[in-house]
Amino acid sequence: MSDFHNRSQSSARRSDYVWQYEYYDEEEPVSFEGLKAHRYSIVIGFWVGLAVFVIFMFFVLTLLTKTGAPHQENQDSGEKRHRPGSCLVDIGSPQDENDKAFSRPLLTGPRSYFHFYINEEDQGHGKRTGNPDGARAQQGTRGTGSSGTDEMEDDVEEEAGGNQPLEGLLEESKTDGECAFFSHFNIPNFVNLEHSSTFGEEDLLYEPSVVAERRRHSRDAHCDGH
Amino acid sequence: MDTAAANRSDCPEVRVPVPLFFTIGVVSLAENLLVVVAVIRNRNLHSPMYCFICSLAAFNTIASLTKTWENLMIVFANIGLLEKKGPSETNVDDVLDSLLCMSFVGSIVSFLAIAADRYISIFHALRYHNIMTMRRTRAVLGVIWTLCGVSAVLMVRFFDSNFIMICFVVFFVVSLAIICFLYVYMFMLARIHARKIAALPASNGGRGALTLTILFGAFVVCWAPFFLHLIIIMLCPTNPYCECYRSLFQLHVVLLMSHAFIDPAIYAFRSVELRHTFRKMLLCSDWKRCS
Repeated sequence: MSDFHNRSQSSARRSDYVWQYEYYDEEEPVSFEGLKAHRYSIVIGFWVGLAVFVIFMFFVLTLLTKTGAPHQENQDSGEKRHRPGSCLVDIGSPQDENDKAFSRPLLTGPRSYFHFYINEEDQGHGKRTGNPDGARAQQGTRGTGSSGTDEMEDDVEEEAGGNQPLEGLLEESKTDGECAFFSHFNIPNFVNLEHSSTFGEEDLLYEPSVVAERRRHSRDAHCDGH
Repeated sequence: MDTAAANRSDCPEVRVPVPLFFTIGVVSLAENLLVVVAVIRNRNLHSPMYCFICSLAAFNTIASLTKTWENLMIVFANIGLLEKKGPSETNVDDVLDSLLCMSFVGSIVSFLAIAADRYISIFHALRYHNIMTMRRTRAVLGVIWTLCGVSAVLMVRFFDSNFIMICFVVFFVVSLAIICFLYVYMFMLARIHARKIAALPASNGGRGALTLTILFGAFVVCWAPFFLHLIIIMLCPTNPYCECYRSLFQLHVVLLMSHAFIDPAIYAFRSVELRHTFRKMLLCSDWKRCS
C-alpha cells in the first residue's frame, strides 16, 4: 500500500480520490483528543435527518390525499368561471387563455391519426380492433399516456372498479350533448394518473382528450353560445 | 507514526469487500443494459418518455461499467499486475473518472428530464405531442449528453479548484429541489382532479404517496451522502468529526452504485409495455416469431 500512499501524496487534490481510498491519511494527522460529542455524531445526525425528511415527506403526501390541497378552492372557482364561457374544463392553470390562443397553429398533421381512434372508439367501448391505423395511433400515443402514469400504474391493477367508471364516462359522453361530451372527455385526462386503464395500455385516456381538442377547434362556434 | 496509527484507529476506514462492489456493479450493468436494449428494439417504446428512461439507463450502464472496471484495476494493482504510477494507468484513471462524473451528472439530468416530461404530459396534455416531438427529444438528449461529457472533462481536469466542487454540489441541490417541486405539484394536481370525479372509486392515495416517496427517497438517500462527503472535504478536512464521516467513503460509493441498481425498478420496470418486452426478449429466442 505504500505505493498508493506515495501516489496519493503527489495527487492528494486530484479528482481520483475515488481511485485511492486512503488519500486523506496523508494530510495533517487529525487529533482525536477532547471530543465533546460522539465520534460519529455527524454521521448519525445526517442519517437521522435524512430519515426524518423522507418520513416527513411521506406523511405530507399522505395528508394531502386525505384532506386535499390548499388551493383546491382556487381550482373550483377557476372552473366555474370558465365553464359558462367555453366548453373546455379549466384545468386550473391561468395560462389556459394563452394555450387556446397558441394551440391552434400548433395542431399539425400527425394529429390526424387520432381520427382512426375516434372511429374505433365509436364502434366499440375502447376495444382494440385489427385496424392497422388504430394500432399506429396506439403506438404513437402510447408514450404520452405512459409518461404520467407509470408511477401510478400499480394502483390500477389493484383497483377493482377502475374499468367500469371509465367506460361509464365514455358511454355517457356519447349520449350527452357536445359540450358535455368535451367536459367529460377532458376530465379523464387527469384521472389517468390514478386510475389508468386496466386495458393493458396506459394512454387510452389521453387520446380522448386530444380528440376533444380537435373537435373543439372544428366546432368552436357551436359551443361558444353555451 | 504512533499518532498516525492512533488517529487511524479512532475512526478506521470502513472497507467494503470487493466482491460486493463487483456484484452490485455487474447486476446493475445487466439490468440497465437490458432496459437500453429493450427500448431500442421495441418500436412501440420509441416515445419521449421511454427515450429519457433509456438515456437514464445508459448513464447507469456507463457508471456501473466504469466502477466495475475501476475495481478490477484496483484489484490488479493490489496484486501487483498493474503499475500504480505508470502513465498509462494515470490516463486510464483520468478517463474512468471523466466517465464516472459524466454518468453522475447525466443521471441527475435524466431524472430532471423525466420529471419535466411527466410535468408537461400533465399540465399541457392537450399539446403534449406538439411540445415533445421525437425530433425535439433527440435534440434534448444530444444536448444532455454533450453537456455531460464536457462538464465531466472540465470537472476532472480542474478538480483542484474548490469552485468546480461547489458547482457540482449546487447543481445537485438545485436539481433535487426542482425534481421535488415538480413531482409534488403533479401529485397534488392529480389528487385534486381525482377527487372531483365522483364516479370513480375513492382515492387510494396511499399508494401514490408511497410511490413518490420511494422515487424521491431513493434518489436522496443514495446521492446525498456522497455529496455531503464532497462538502466536508471542502469545509473541514482536519476536523475529527468530519474525519469520521469521511472514513465511510466506500459505503457511500456503494450507495451510489446501488442507486444505479434500483433505478430500473423505480422507472423502467413500472411500465407494462417494458415488462412485456423483457419477457419476450428473455423467454423467446426468436424475436420475430414471438408475438
